Amino acid sequence: MASAAKRLEAISGMPAPQIRFDAVTLQLGGKTIIEDLSLGVQPGEFLCIVGASGCGKTTALRLAAGLYQPTSGKVNFDGQPMREPRREIAIVFQDYGKALLPWRTAAGNVSLALEAGGMPSAERPARIEELLRTVGLPGHAGKYPSEMSGGMQQRLQIARCLAQEPKTLLMDEPFGALDAMTRQGLQDEVLSLVAASGATVIFVTHDLDEAIYLGDRVIGLLPHPGRIGIELSVNLPRPRDQLSTREHPEFLRLRRQLFDFIKASEH
Amino acid sequence: MNRTALVWRLASFAVAAGFIALWQLIANLKLVSPVFLPGPDRAWAALVRGFSSGDLWSKLAGTLEHMAYGWLAASIAGIAIGAIIGSSRTMRTYVAPSLEFLRPLPVSAIIPVAIAMLGLTQAMALFVIAFGAIWPIMLATIHGFAAVEPRLYEVARSLQMSRLAVIFKIALPSASPDILAGMRLSLTVALILSVVCEILAGLDGLGHWVLLSARSFRSADLFAGVILLGVTGYVTSVAMSLAEHRLLAWQAAQQ
Repeated sequence: MASAAKRLEAISGMPAPQIRFDAVTLQLGGKTIIEDLSLGVQPGEFLCIVGASGCGKTTALRLAAGLYQPTSGKVNFDGQPMREPRREIAIVFQDYGKALLPWRTAAGNVSLALEAGGMPSAERPARIEELLRTVGLPGHAGKYPSEMSGGMQQRLQIARCLAQEPKTLLMDEPFGALDAMTRQGLQDEVLSLVAASGATVIFVTHDLDEAIYLGDRVIGLLPHPGRIGIELSVNLPRPRDQLSTREHPEFLRLRRQLFDFIKASEH
Repeated sequence: MNRTALVWRLASFAVAAGFIALWQLIANLKLVSPVFLPGPDRAWAALVRGFSSGDLWSKLAGTLEHMAYGWLAASIAGIAIGAIIGSSRTMRTYVAPSLEFLRPLPVSAIIPVAIAMLGLTQAMALFVIAFGAIWPIMLATIHGFAAVEPRLYEVARSLQMSRLAVIFKIALPSASPDILAGMRLSLTVALILSVVCEILAGLDGLGHWVLLSARSFRSADLFAGVILLGVTGYVTSVAMSLAEHRLLAWQAAQQ
């Protein structure tokens, strides 16, 4: 399979997609949530998915994670069908409060992923410290999640996901519950973390500005059933900057296009 | 401890002291015949006498042993069975009705059954105590396992954790506040049933001591035994609370 992907890469000159949706349809409880969704995400790409609520963007992410299996069609990861979640794919959930173990400290929560990966206990403390420093939580190793602010808890969840050393990072409205200042800070941190690790990202958000600011590509879904309605390439220079990127004419053009799309999709 | 807490603590001691004084007064005025009601002075003297002769020590050890074995057996079985039932929706649906039937069954009703099957033995006592003490633990464990945040199971899946790791690293710690609360409740049940079994089966312990003292009208010894049982219940309960507090330090952080 992998060699087939390599051959394809050699022929087309394009790298084979890391994640590929092939005519994916998902029905839950007799309702079609996603219909005939085809999509490829290149290695190292930052893909954002936006759409009105109920358009199935979170569902699409859960399909990519292997938490759902498609009713028909295929989801492939590195050329292999996704049958169940795997450690190379990390998920950052929106509700960080529920996704962290309240009985473990920050260090313990990061350790969970290292333990699952089979890292010997002697090597864990150094790695934990390094990861906590990476997400800007040095010196908080001994704190319980309940003693941390929402932004810190989300950083902690990101640290745990990084501990998986994922090839792909799936993020489900990770900053949706945070205030604007914390959100902007975390956006920039995620961008630099991703740039450093080279991970592929699928980022679901309802914030259109956030999608354009972060993404290489933005996909807008139409609701009932969920399907692709618009696809935009974001050709904005990197590294991005909270002020100059958001004032860039191209940013404003994409923003208008995306707003019009969402408005139209709601009718 | 802040000042109001200290005042309340002192007040509660004053109330207890008041009750003891009232007891002494009733005994001194012989409102109740001294054959049946000794004063606190005589009960205390009996307590000291019992301990210095060593009799009470062995009785206390007997009761503590019954209680501890029965309670530990109930805890292990209750947590294991509760975990199996609680972690599966199907099991809950099928087994819950039977549990609802068994749970309100007074344990005293199964004592004759246990005696018929196991005789007047330690094994009978162990069975009865464990049977009575298992319910609070098992039901709490079922509830605790059923209430684990589903998101955490998704985290476990994405980390490809083994079934065993999921139980020990996610489900069990998540259910631990419920389980420990159940264990605290059963501690009292275990003490009650230890005494009942000792009385019924003549097993060495404070229950037996109390029964013999009453039969031979040694009221001071009788009261010494009762006081000791009260202290046992109080001390074990406090010890359990301390253990809970330690084990659930993360919950204190949540408030």
